[in-house]
Order: sequence, then C-alpha cells, then structure tokens
Amino acid sequence: MNTPSVGPQPHGRGHAEGHGHDLAGLLAQVACGDHAAFEAVYDQLAGSVYGVARKVLRDPAQSEEVAQEVLLEVWRSACRFDPARGSAAAWVMTIAHRRAVDRVRAENAATAREQKAAPDSGTSEDVFELVDMALDRQRVRRCMGRLSALQAEAIKLAYYGGYSYPEVAGLLGLPLGTVKTRIRDGLIRLRDCMEVAQ
Amino acid sequence: MSVQSHDLHLLTGAFALDALTGDELDEFERHLEQCAPCAEEVRGLRETAARLGMATAIEPPPWMREQVLAATGRIRQLPPSDVRLITADGPRRRRRLGRRLPRPIAVTAMAAAIVALAVLQVGTRHQLQQAQISNQTIASVLSASDARIELSSSAVGGRVTAVISPHDREAVITASGMPTPSGAQVYQLWVISPAGARSVGLLPGSSARATSPVLADDVQPGDQLAITIEPAGGTKQPTTIPIVEIHTRP
Repeated sequence: MNTPSVGPQPHGRGHAEGHGHDLAGLLAQVACGDHAAFEAVYDQLAGSVYGVARKVLRDPAQSEEVAQEVLLEVWRSACRFDPARGSAAAWVMTIAHRRAVDRVRAENAATAREQKAAPDSGTSEDVFELVDMALDRQRVRRCMGRLSALQAEAIKLAYYGGYSYPEVAGLLGLPLGTVKTRIRDGLIRLRDCMEVAQ
Repeated sequence: MSVQSHDLHLLTGAFALDALTGDELDEFERHLEQCAPCAEEVRGLRETAARLGMATAIEPPPWMREQVLAATGRIRQLPPSDVRLITADGPRRRRRLGRRLPRPIAVTAMAAAIVALAVLQVGTRHQLQQAQISNQTIASVLSASDARIELSSSAVGGRVTAVISPHDREAVITASGMPTPSGAQVYQLWVISPAGARSVGLLPGSSARATSPVLADDVQPGDQLAITIEPAGGTKQPTTIPIVEIHTRP
C-alpha cells in the first residue's frame, strides 16, 4: 500500500502545532488520498478532537459521533486546508469546535443548559483533568491564570461551554459590550502569553 | 474607521470562539473579507482557541480509530479543483453548481439508460432499496461533467460498461451478456493501482441482461478496472487472470 513520507515538509507553521510533527505536510498528503498520512493525523489529533467534543457536549456517545464526523471531514476536505491561513491543528480544531457547538446549540434544550450553566465554574477544574498533553495543558493553565476572573470565565463559558456571547452575557449578568471586549482582551492576552512561552 | 466597523472589530474574539450567531455572524464574516487586520487577528486568536481545545485531549475509545480509518475507504474526498467553489454548505452548493455545468448530454442519457436497465432487473424490494440508495451516488457519477464511457468485451463473452469520472475519482460499472458463473464462483471487480489490487465487490446477479451497477470509488486516473472469476464469496486479492481490463486514462 501507500508508503507515507512523513518527513519534514515545507508547510509547518503556526502556534497550535505544538508537539505535532508537521501536520500541514501530512494534510497535504491526505488531500492526495494517502491513507497512511491520515492515520498519522488521526494519531496526533483524535485525542484533541474527542476531548473538545467531550468538553462541549459532555455526553460520551454524542462526543464520539461528533469526533468521528470531524475526523472524516478532515479526510474529506483535506484539500481545503490552506497553510497560509493558519496551522493545521487550528484548522482541525476549528472544525471540531464548530461541530460540537453546532450540535449543542441544535439540541438546545434551554432548560437543561441553563441549569448546567450556573455552576459551570466547575469547568475550571475538570477542563484539565485526564489530559495527556502535559506541557500544553500547563501552559494553557498558567496563561489562563493571568487573566482577570471575568475574562477567564467568559472565555471558558464560550469555548468550553459552547455558549454564544450574548448567552455568556446573560449567564454572567453583564452587558453585551462588556462580554465582547472581555473575551477579546482575554484571548489576546492568552495568545501573547502562549507565544512568549513558545 | 467608523464606529460601527470598530464595534465589529471587537467581535474577533467571540468569532474565534464560535460564539457569534445569526445575523451578527453573517455581518462579521462580511466585514472580515474587507478588514485585513481583523482577519489577521482572527487567525492568531484561532490558534489560541485551538490550544484551549488541545488542552482537553483525552484518549478516544480504541474502536473509534478502526472505525474512522475504515470509513475513509468509503468516503469520497473533495477534489482540489473544487476548493474555491465550496463553502460551509459544501455539498449542497456543489450540486447546484453541478447542475449549471455543461455536460455531455449523450453520455448522461446513455448512462441513465444503463441504470434504468439495471434497476429494472433488480429483484426483491430490499435489493431495490439498496439500489436506490447507491443510485444517488451513481447518478452523480453519471452526470459528472467529465463522465466518460468505456466499453470492453469480456474474455468469457458479454461486455462491460464503465462510466468513469476522473474528476470525482469514481466509476460505475455494469456487465451484460456474461455467462452466469457456476454456483461456486463469482465475478469480482477490482481497482488496480500501482499500490496493488483493491476489491470493489462482487458483480451482483449477472445474467444475459445488465447487472445492477457497482460503484468504485477512489479510482485514480491511470488505475485499471478489472474483473476476475473467483470462488464464491470473493477473495482478498485476485487469484485468476482478469476476463476484462479497462484502463482509465491518466
């Protein structure tokens, strides 16, 4: 069968590559129908894809479904990945997060979600459990610790909770404009913190 | 910068976290197309968001790996040439475009006739349902703008028709007039590439008339389609000399 050449490729870039071995190069091979390259992509990212789905959806069965959909979407549309527009990991994680959020919103059993939302500061604890990418996790945790409480909470509710920012505003009892800027300022601070740490 | 576009710029963070919805999302996406600094900021914040996501990594159930890898064998990849045409609602958009594309009418009409013939002779209701499901995919190959028909005589009599879409990397194959194999034997269809032979499946219910069509996916230009006679149930690799070989032109 196909022999993958998983050696260095010229496309590797981007902050979210982390420990990844040239995902961009692998994706280029996946775009050509290379099953072995896809296996390598799977091994690098399936845990993150499944993790974010679990984080947002909570339900294991649904998370498994979404994770599979996302990974197959990566296979199907690998040729749409454009390294000039960001890292391969960010491309995959964007698809994963969007799918998970779409699913959670589609279901939007509003009552169930609102009940979950109130004590959702629990997020801060369990976000980081069972994580096997110790370095990345530590960095995220450390940088998250440098945000204001409000920035961190707004970002966690939006990203890990899958809430829209008006929903976040409602949950935190803050004006829309405040939440909008807190999210942006907090993310920029996270970005800068993680870049410095690279 | 107007007050309004300044306001929009502040949405980069919420956008990067998929926290925009409805009209506001549409408006911001339009704004992004004209605001290079916003796009650059979104790019960076998406990387940051991805890191938040990767920090949640947990081991997926082991069966998932096998299942996903197996499924890639059945899922057609988007061809690179479609990149610009496809947006978030990819498949729907693509079909719309497909309808507008000129296509060789003769090929389509002939291909439709092949399918019609094949469906006519499918027996049970179950088979008919199966045929209808795959017919949607088959119809898309047959109506592909670059669909090409290749006819080939079989060494045991009868002939094989393949409709090949190099663009979609798919082919639809039917056989007609081939002798019914003995009970212990079947006709098996293969895609042969430089990497080796891959079974597409068994030709269903062969008879004097056309078999129901079989879809072969991931057919790369230059690959060969081949049919061999194999023991009932089929084999993993061809064990006999093909009775038909069709070359897909590179």
